[in-house]
Amino acid sequence: MKNYDILLNDLAPQKFGKKGVIWTISLIVLIILGIIAYIDQIIKGQVVTNMNDYALWGVYISNFVFFVATSFVSTITVAVLRLTNNSWRTPIVRIAEIISVAAIIMAGLTITIDMGRPDRLLNLFIYGRMQSPITWDVIIIPTYVVVSLLLLYFPLLPDFGLLNKYYKEKQPKLSKWYEKLSLNWTGSDAQKTIQLKSIHIIAILIIPVGFMLQTIDAWLFSTLFRVGWDSTNLGAYFISGASVAGVGALVCAVYVLQKVYKLENYITDFHFDKLGKFLVLTCLIYLYFNLNEYLIPQLTSKKEATTHINVLMTGEFAPLFWFVIIGGLIIPIIVLLFKKGRKPLPMFLIGLLVVIGSWWKRYLIVTPTLLHPFLPIQGVPEEWRHYFPSIHEWLITIATLAMALLIITLLVRYLPIIPIQRTADEQEELKINKSTKS
Amino acid sequence: MKNQFTIHHFFLVLLSLLLYTSSFAQKVKQNKVRLKVQYVKIVDGEIYFDIKATAKIKKKNVRVSDINLTIYNKLNDEKIKIGKTTTNKNGESKFILKNLNLIQPDSTNTYSILISFKGNNTLKKASKSIRFKNANIIAKLVTKDSINYIIAKLIDESTNTPISGVSLGVRLQRLFKPLIIGKEFNNTDKNGTIIVPIEKGLPGVDGNLIFEVVLNESEEFGTIIAMVEAPIGTPIVDESSFDERTMWSPRNKTPLFLLIFPNLLIFGIWGLIIYLITNLFKISKSKI
Repeated sequence: MKNYDILLNDLAPQKFGKKGVIWTISLIVLIILGIIAYIDQIIKGQVVTNMNDYALWGVYISNFVFFVATSFVSTITVAVLRLTNNSWRTPIVRIAEIISVAAIIMAGLTITIDMGRPDRLLNLFIYGRMQSPITWDVIIIPTYVVVSLLLLYFPLLPDFGLLNKYYKEKQPKLSKWYEKLSLNWTGSDAQKTIQLKSIHIIAILIIPVGFMLQTIDAWLFSTLFRVGWDSTNLGAYFISGASVAGVGALVCAVYVLQKVYKLENYITDFHFDKLGKFLVLTCLIYLYFNLNEYLIPQLTSKKEATTHINVLMTGEFAPLFWFVIIGGLIIPIIVLLFKKGRKPLPMFLIGLLVVIGSWWKRYLIVTPTLLHPFLPIQGVPEEWRHYFPSIHEWLITIATLAMALLIITLLVRYLPIIPIQRTADEQEELKINKSTKS
Repeated sequence: MKNQFTIHHFFLVLLSLLLYTSSFAQKVKQNKVRLKVQYVKIVDGEIYFDIKATAKIKKKNVRVSDINLTIYNKLNDEKIKIGKTTTNKNGESKFILKNLNLIQPDSTNTYSILISFKGNNTLKKASKSIRFKNANIIAKLVTKDSINYIIAKLIDESTNTPISGVSLGVRLQRLFKPLIIGKEFNNTDKNGTIIVPIEKGLPGVDGNLIFEVVLNESEEFGTIIAMVEAPIGTPIVDESSFDERTMWSPRNKTPLFLLIFPNLLIFGIWGLIIYLITNLFKISKSKI
């Protein structure tokens, strides 16, 4: 007999408290401000941004790359941990799936914001050429959105069935929604077989699709002959960076949700310890790729590469560069190598540092390269030599981040953040194992 | 009554003061425009006046854009209007004269042209005159002892006499800037002729070279350019792979592998996605 009552009581979606309402309203306010700025950008054109002939990609593109990277979390945690039979993943996978859906939807929106004429978006489909990485991107993003949604939806079916019953008397309206979403789930053998088979297919499918997404994102840069981008290392570099950003975001979300919904019985120190080890592994791999990316060009000393790296290491971008390397990678590695560092609160702080570092890392990938064209910058206004986002760009970018958080917030409000059915199954397996041993 | 009279006078004085200061303020704002005009004749081609307008504003030379200029042919004391033009954003204008017969020379066979600007709220009126005689350059390519030469003759068209002692330049048209051939200045002899040898091995598309013989900014004749097309260059072998660069080439040049593999991947992935969606329907229908 599975103890569904306790599980449903603990894990069924709950109404927002006062803090939840304030949080949601704050996000909506930020989004409205961003929409106003975006309407102004549509009316006046991209003249309201600080982008120019040289820095023709700015914070919008770096923000887009950040979203794409963060969406990799479901590939790296859900799929990889599932296929490697890591059972500790259960309480965190749904959070990862939700982050992934929110991030990839926002990636698609953010790239449109960067377009001077978004009304011409359809032209990308009509006139797209298969040899252009932009076309690959246009294809892979909707594909990843659909695969991420399916990855979120299939495991939810039994939970929707449970919630339908749970809310039947308490909230009949909500119950009806869950009934529709459960697709008449009764837990029959036939349904379970199809569901498990489908989840297995998606878990395998999302790995190549996720890798393609990150690689295409990298190839958008590396197919251009630009210093800092023209590198065979870039695909793998982006995949490892995406793992860091994704797991970092997951750590933060898991900590916040554990505290807000009081899930200490389900998300324990053990899970944080595992996540910490996972994060340190991804950070070490990414650090290795960073060494490849910066050390080899510095040693071979091609003039333009040296100039670029000097600007990063000792020049205009040095404070940001060292913050990203030390704050976003080295400190997390050092802290997370110790058991005490893998406790919930230190993990949350490190997760935050990693996410902030990951965001600025994308800014460093995009901007400094653009400010180093092959022909020297001459005879142009002084401000063209530098780039820092305008107020419009900041407002819109903050709004996109708020929108991602709002999607997560709304999904968390109506979906069980820990898989109920799966947890019940695991608890029963544990009981059977114990009784067999005794 | 006296009081009313005083007030009336006071307002009159105030009004005149205001009008005076405002007109003074307008005058102060007006800047002086400088016009620079160059007469250019391309032999067997167009004839035009190259006009540049500048002004010194706040101690800086600024190009004056969007001002209307009127071009006159001056004949004795008469001014015959031949057209209008407007400066572009760089303060430049090219006024093309369809035919030299549209203007008349004076008794000394000298053409006199006046470019005039009426002035506006911010700029003072200005004008610039130029005088020139009609000259011509007859240029051709000759080969002697397997050496190629450009031979050019400068003639005063009005008297049909050669012009001697004037410096002509020979240059080869290139992509960014003409390449000077031989000496920079070649003085015409008593027959008004120059002979400039051309070195071998000059590259050209399909071996075609275009030489220019130039009389540059002469006070008497303006600028005259004669072109000579000569198929004597070393043909350029285009080693650029630009058209073959698949990343930038048009749709019809997509390499086959880029059509096959990505499409296989797309159809493969979307095939699975459709299969998964049909599974949702199957789940919905298999309650028991």
